Amino acid sequence: MYGWIWRHLPGNTWVKALISMVLVLAVVFVLFQYVFPWAEPLLPFNDVTVDEGMAAL
Amino acid sequence: MTLRSRTTARWIVRTLSEICLTAGALIVLFVVYLLFWTGVRADSAMDGEIGKLHDRWSSGAAAAPDRTPPPGESPTPAPPPRRYRPGDSFAVMYIPRFGADWAKPVLEGTATGTLQRGLGHYARTARLGDLGNFAVAGHRRTYGDPFKDFPELRPGDAVVLSDGTTWFTYRIDNRPYTTLPSDIGVIDPVPRKSGFNGPGRYLTLTTCEPEWGHSHRLIAWAHLDSTQPVAQGRPSALTG
Repeated sequence: MYGWIWRHLPGNTWVKALISMVLVLAVVFVLFQYVFPWAEPLLPFNDVTVDEGMAAL
Repeated sequence: MTLRSRTTARWIVRTLSEICLTAGALIVLFVVYLLFWTGVRADSAMDGEIGKLHDRWSSGAAAAPDRTPPPGESPTPAPPPRRYRPGDSFAVMYIPRFGADWAKPVLEGTATGTLQRGLGHYARTARLGDLGNFAVAGHRRTYGDPFKDFPELRPGDAVVLSDGTTWFTYRIDNRPYTTLPSDIGVIDPVPRKSGFNGPGRYLTLTTCEPEWGHSHRLIAWAHLDSTQPVAQGRPSALTG
């Protein structure tokens, strides 16, 4: 998978490395900004209230 | 073994290891997000809420004789509204047991997004300082760990709140009490099992138990010990 991506990136090794870095940062950004905030309430750390009826806390 | 089957085997092994590496990296990133990033976000959000409160109090406190109007409304001497605005901060809580610089904003409501910006006041419980039970929930872990040291609370510990005009000093009455998430009697006006046996001005704190789990809740009860106008300076529980 990663080998396939590497082979399909344009340019020489340095350009490829640079693009890879940008891609990695983009993935981390999307994870922190959208995916993790979505996944986090599914875990138990949010459950601090006693009235379960009030939304899924 | 033929060349072809050897290539296939290598492809399978390589793909499998790439998947494992990806999954591992994802898990590490998620842990970083939970332990570090939610704290960074929550700390700045809570500091922002406290800053907003202090700005509002310093600009509008003089016009409000005995009660701060809820956020967003102009401070008029008209009868105070009976409800706080959902999601808005209205008080700052200080618990010296958690550290001299421990100060967190209290927001109205216990929605997920609200609890990520501070402590949450159960909307159907009493207002701060009123007759009844002023109940507040907070994260024990993640989002700034506001109630991390919850089990350290002991009878006599001060829980001090300010709404901009009055300091309310509550005193803890019990060691943290473990209960089930469905036990909503703990935030009743006269909380069940608290040892209080008549109407009064109470405070209830709730958080999760165990630390990283959600099977139980940890409860602490307190009663209103004293109040004093903000003009008289900080209460002795904070200065002592």
